[in-house]
Amino acid sequence: MAAILLQTADWLFVVDNMGLLLGGTAVTVALTVASILLGFAIGFPAGAIEVYGSDRARRLVEQVGVVLRGTPLLVIIMILYFGLSVSSSAFVTATIALGLRSAAYQSQIFRGALQSVDDGQLEAARAVAMSRFEAIRHVVVPQALRRSVPGFQNEFTIVLKDTSIAIVIGIGELLTTGQNLYEGGQSTAALEIFLAVSLVYFVLTFATNRSLDRLSDYYAVPEGTT
Amino acid sequence: MSTAESTTSPLRDRVGTVFTVRPLTIGLTLFWIWVLARWTTDFVLAGVFGLDRGTPFLPAAPFLTAADTVASLAAPLGAAGAPLAWFAETLQFAADATAYLPALAHGIWTTVLLTVFSVCLGFALALPLSVVRVYGGRWARWLALSYTELIRGTPLLAQLFVLYFATSLTQVLRGVPGVGVGFIPAQAFWVAVISFTLNSAAYQSEYLRASLDSVDSGQLTAARAIGLSKLEGIRYVVVPQGLRLALPSWTNELVYLIKYSSLASFITVQELYGRTSTLANETYQYTELFVLVAILYLALVVSASALMDRVESHTATAGVGHTRQ
Amino acid sequence: MTQPLLSIDDLHKSYGSEEVLEGVGLEMDQGDVTVLIGPSGSGKSTLLRCVNRLTEINSGRIALDGEDVTGADTDVNELRKQVGMVFQDFNLFAHLTALENVTLGPKKVLGMDAADAEAAGRTHLEQVGLLEQADSYPAELSGGQKQRVGIARALAMDPELLLFDEPTSALDPELVGEVVEVMRDLAAEGITMLVVSHEMDFARSAASDIVFLDDGEVVEHGPPEQLFQNPTADRTEQFLSRLHAHEETA
Repeated sequence: MAAILLQTADWLFVVDNMGLLLGGTAVTVALTVASILLGFAIGFPAGAIEVYGSDRARRLVEQVGVVLRGTPLLVIIMILYFGLSVSSSAFVTATIALGLRSAAYQSQIFRGALQSVDDGQLEAARAVAMSRFEAIRHVVVPQALRRSVPGFQNEFTIVLKDTSIAIVIGIGELLTTGQNLYEGGQSTAALEIFLAVSLVYFVLTFATNRSLDRLSDYYAVPEGTT
Repeated sequence: MSTAESTTSPLRDRVGTVFTVRPLTIGLTLFWIWVLARWTTDFVLAGVFGLDRGTPFLPAAPFLTAADTVASLAAPLGAAGAPLAWFAETLQFAADATAYLPALAHGIWTTVLLTVFSVCLGFALALPLSVVRVYGGRWARWLALSYTELIRGTPLLAQLFVLYFATSLTQVLRGVPGVGVGFIPAQAFWVAVISFTLNSAAYQSEYLRASLDSVDSGQLTAARAIGLSKLEGIRYVVVPQGLRLALPSWTNELVYLIKYSSLASFITVQELYGRTSTLANETYQYTELFVLVAILYLALVVSASALMDRVESHTATAGVGHTRQ
Repeated sequence: MTQPLLSIDDLHKSYGSEEVLEGVGLEMDQGDVTVLIGPSGSGKSTLLRCVNRLTEINSGRIALDGEDVTGADTDVNELRKQVGMVFQDFNLFAHLTALENVTLGPKKVLGMDAADAEAAGRTHLEQVGLLEQADSYPAELSGGQKQRVGIARALAMDPELLLFDEPTSALDPELVGEVVEVMRDLAAEGITMLVVSHEMDFARSAASDIVFLDDGEVVEHGPPEQLFQNPTADRTEQFLSRLHAHEETA
């Protein structure tokens, strides 16, 4: 069994097609970054509205959030691509789908972080005559952003892994590329192909987490010994 | 269960203080009544009474007539009648949906089975894993950590593909007596269950580990001080508290699995998404069908959150876990 | 005749059905140091927070320099440029250094340019004895240091009136002295201060007026020598004797 599982010929097949797989990786990374940025652009204001907005605005954001968080990503992609046809480009559609989903989750991260900043901070800012908006902007938000980092790290790896679901609309991302190789005829190399693909994902996840760790250390506010 | 309370529950934070309780409870109750009625009719009664499986509960005719009526109202209005025309189309789809719903209900059955099996089996695997990660020896801890990191660092779909395409698991399962016979689902379903279980176990063990870690070490010390062994102390003192602290994360996990069970369709399992996709490819009614299925998934997700809410209230102990204000 | 700097008239404040301030009146001239004393729950902090409108009143009048500041059309932010506050819990901006804490207001609200704000900020930090800690973060400072930065931050806005809300109550006993010393210096320099505090030594030596508040009303007020030696009301006497007993056993 072991001999069947780990044949050198199959590994050579993987190595030969490394270029293709790396191409797929590039698409995966691009898709991830684009979706996370879209998610932030929508998710951060959404989170702020959930904390500081008017009642109606808050309810609207919450309701949309529940729907986006409660619907499988596959369904969101299908509605956007085959149903509403928001774009003829599978990449753009996938970005929008992943971005919307991420926005719904990022709004929760930022909402929690904004709420966790002590009320006294806001009061002190108002006491030096800052308007509510200035106080939120200069005092609450910088602290909230720092507290969002762990949640954001988590979200990054989730989006990275979710890009594999875009296989359903045929984008040339990493898993699709692997699947195509497998179906392209070398069915004995299935294990090697999918293990290689998994390894790449793992490396990407690991690298992202470490980089974000470094980033958060750089911007961290020193903790004292008192 | 007023909305004032609900803003502080981490559970509600996830679902949101969205809907007022009344319409939501009514909606969910109706949903489950329909689902259970459909399951009973098709799986139990049909065999007993010889009824046709899959006959819709609701006839399509009334919806069709309503659709026609509204459409004829909309036509003379021209552009202004657009909202009415849209409403007529919705009624038209409702008529079609009466024929789709039985199949979708079967899909819900598969989805629920998939989710329940995976969460429960995943828990059975996760609990010992998490205990090892907190209390185990150096190598045991390293092994458990590696497993968790590998699973959590790779996509669920890739794991599913590995098990389905790259191992002989399917053949092995086909050989197991009973698989695919009667109500027992076929081998692809079980491959999915195994994959989801392994995946869920990794995530659950991480949640549990965090909860066990957050139980004050003084608790175990006190347990040892009254003569309990380390294992007994973990079992009777630390784990009960840890489990309560971990409750909110199970809602997370349940919701996650309900949604990601849709991936099983990639390996031919006919769960809710899979059936919808098949229907959509046949009828081209993509938007309508996927919006309908989104509503069905939402019903499942909200039900799961509500259920976990109940569980949390019933098991809540003052001073342990999240308190309601 | 010069009008009082601060004039509070028949102030009422309730939280729900509970009336916390029942017709409080008070006047302060420039350079006055008024200390509010009284049992907990008497409404002292609430009164203070009404003056810079962190808490809104139910009825009554608060006038700064003769102008009513409780109206709906008063610019609250303008008010807070004139009235500064020092908090019991310090509330230093956790993500900024001591110097940045002090210069944030001047830069963003007063529109000072960075160089001027920094220079002024260092002066204020020096005034409270913390020039060397200018680049430290709040988490790295002791309680007493944090509070002194809080005072510098309030001073940096150049306010007409400084409010102190139990500035030493959250401090360990050995750190109280450094903060009280700064407050004494400020009083000596002629800064107008309205202070809620239990520090009776400060009240005795630096205050120009002591106001005794109980159950939401001003029971009596007067210069420290008069109030502490010869209180007119029974309630004042009872409160002071409880305080003395506590001080003697402390």
